[in-house]
Amino acid sequence: MPRFMMITALIALVAVGAFAGGQTEATEDQPVTIRIAYPVAVDAPVTEILDGYAEEFMAENPNVQVETVYAGGYEDVKTTIQTTIDGGGDAPALGVMLATDLFDLANAQYIEPMTPYVDAMENSEAYLDDFLPAFLSNSYYMDELWSLPFQRSAVVMYYNADLLAESGHGVPTDWETLGETASDLTERDGDTVTRWGIEWPSGWPYWLFQPLAIGAGQNIVGESDTEVYFDEPEVIAAIEYYNSLSTEYGAMPEGVQASWGNVVPNFVSGNTAMIIHSSGSLSNVLSQADFEVGVTGIPGPDGGSFSVPGGGNLYMTTGLSEAQKQAAFDFAVFITEPSRAADFSIQTGYIATRESALADDAMQAYISENPQAGQTRDVLATAGKELAVQNLGEVRNIFHSHLQSAINGDMAPSEAMAEAQRAADEALADFR
Amino acid sequence: MTRRGNPLLPYMLIFPTLFFVLIFTVYPTISSLIGSLFQHRLNIPRFRDPVFYGLGNYIDLFTSGQFRMILGNTLRYVVTVVPLWVVTALFLALWLSRPRFARLRVAMFHPTMLPMVSAATVWMFFLTPDYGLLNEFLRFFGYSGPENWVSNPSLSLWALVFVAFWKDAGFYMIFYLAGVQNLPNDVYEALKLEGAGPLVTFFRFTLPLLRRTTLFVTTVAVIGAFRIVDHVFIMTQGGPSGHSTLLLYHLWRVRFDSLNVGQSSAITVILILMLLAFTVTNFLISERRHTDA
Repeated sequence: MPRFMMITALIALVAVGAFAGGQTEATEDQPVTIRIAYPVAVDAPVTEILDGYAEEFMAENPNVQVETVYAGGYEDVKTTIQTTIDGGGDAPALGVMLATDLFDLANAQYIEPMTPYVDAMENSEAYLDDFLPAFLSNSYYMDELWSLPFQRSAVVMYYNADLLAESGHGVPTDWETLGETASDLTERDGDTVTRWGIEWPSGWPYWLFQPLAIGAGQNIVGESDTEVYFDEPEVIAAIEYYNSLSTEYGAMPEGVQASWGNVVPNFVSGNTAMIIHSSGSLSNVLSQADFEVGVTGIPGPDGGSFSVPGGGNLYMTTGLSEAQKQAAFDFAVFITEPSRAADFSIQTGYIATRESALADDAMQAYISENPQAGQTRDVLATAGKELAVQNLGEVRNIFHSHLQSAINGDMAPSEAMAEAQRAADEALADFR
Repeated sequence: MTRRGNPLLPYMLIFPTLFFVLIFTVYPTISSLIGSLFQHRLNIPRFRDPVFYGLGNYIDLFTSGQFRMILGNTLRYVVTVVPLWVVTALFLALWLSRPRFARLRVAMFHPTMLPMVSAATVWMFFLTPDYGLLNEFLRFFGYSGPENWVSNPSLSLWALVFVAFWKDAGFYMIFYLAGVQNLPNDVYEALKLEGAGPLVTFFRFTLPLLRRTTLFVTTVAVIGAFRIVDHVFIMTQGGPSGHSTLLLYHLWRVRFDSLNVGQSSAITVILILMLLAFTVTNFLISERRHTDA
């Protein structure tokens, strides 16, 4: 008898294990549940902000349940969505992922075009025209609109205006004055540097490097989605200038600096006079710095101010029911409404994505109190295109690897970039 | 009363284990092996459905200088960190096996309990250029050499080795502690009576008696060394210029960043073969010594 019971128990156990994975399908009249995956590696209380928006949306739409899924960074959100869809599971309906991931996500059919839903809006044209063109231009591919700008930023230079004034320097306007100012602001105690003139992180370098290349006269990416320009003389000159900030001017730590997380604390504590970083750190910088903070673009060799946009867009994933798609799109529109775009910008420091958000009363009041928020937006006026090409992961990795070799002195800049161009052309060959 | 039982019973009893081994080990291995023979790239429409590619993925990998460098990094990482783990674990176990050191054992074991992500983040703080604790510590001794631990091409891999070593040496110590505490006391009493010195005792008796434990620990440690990847994500992202890219991190990047399913399957197969080769050799050597003895 015990043996019989044991066998029965084993069969039962296996049966339960095998069938526990099955789920019941939601029927039409049940409330719709959508999930939104969001990266939390941002210098702001994004979970509270997002949860708040979800609550508001659910109050207005009692039939929709919005659940927030938080993951570390953009990469983690992307991996979550990819693995869930590859494994045949229910992926979050919306995800905030890098605007530049568009081609890979669309080619691999992880995302759904939003065009039909935008077209169905009453004021679709006005809705789209309201987004800043620098941000919305990343959203089109194969004549479809695939994403809505949400958490957008730009490369900016933060400077300690008090230190500049004390030392009698103006805001650097070209490569030479930037180098000289940074050099003057560097302080040493014997061999030890007690204050760096400038810090320019290079642990994941393409983004912060791009404005230098654009300033020199050649963006590393072309207009089409399969062109890169790594080995142009202007790009090489930009690398040489970057290196000269440490080798010639002695104003920046030498070699590759994986200092993304360190430079903001260094800057606000007065240990670094100028930093190149994301405009997304603005709120954090302003709330911690006890000195006058200035924000500007990256100067070019002979003047000008340069930048590239960055940050994440809202994407709708594939494999949703029609009701989920509509609810997901409605929620995406809801959180990009001007007043919320303004609120999100004020609370996080990301740039408001829409003209009408910038004109919003709360935003105007905030800008008059913190003119830097307006300056980050001005930087965008002359911003170039962010590196966004087919096979982005591989091409970006090739560029990073060779740029770091040039920064660390393992390879001469011209040699490293020639090699990078060759490898990138190979990686893009299948897409041309 | 017959002793003949239900002939199905043994199969029923192993079924749960077999079921999970088939689902989580055998099936993925076979599917990787098959997948590695196909050009399957999710971000290229014409390769979105697998196209037969023969050994193309393997040829692509082994003709790539980058992949050879990654294999080299991985081997250097494994052959450094595994002996460090095993030797340290053994000596910690011998030292801490006495009951009065019970609390110290907890201290040595505690890094194991931390998630690798937290441990690596804490170490990032220690390894910060300029004012990081490690640099402050070295400066105290008058050293002002290379300071940028995670971004220096010749140091970043060793920074990973160091953090992995710190984190898991205590874990392998636990196995040796169990082994040491099971050593026969009478042998040691006899050795004492015979007047054997500590070196003779260690090399002629303790080490051979712990052989089974050593076999287990080295096997688990090698697999562990290949398997741990979190600190690469947190500390170096494989950089600078790929100098600290390990095989498993590269696998992740090929699969999720480059969306190249076929090539990532080929890397999986290479990883499995490397682990298999090591484990089988380890067992063979150990078993032969066992029968010789």
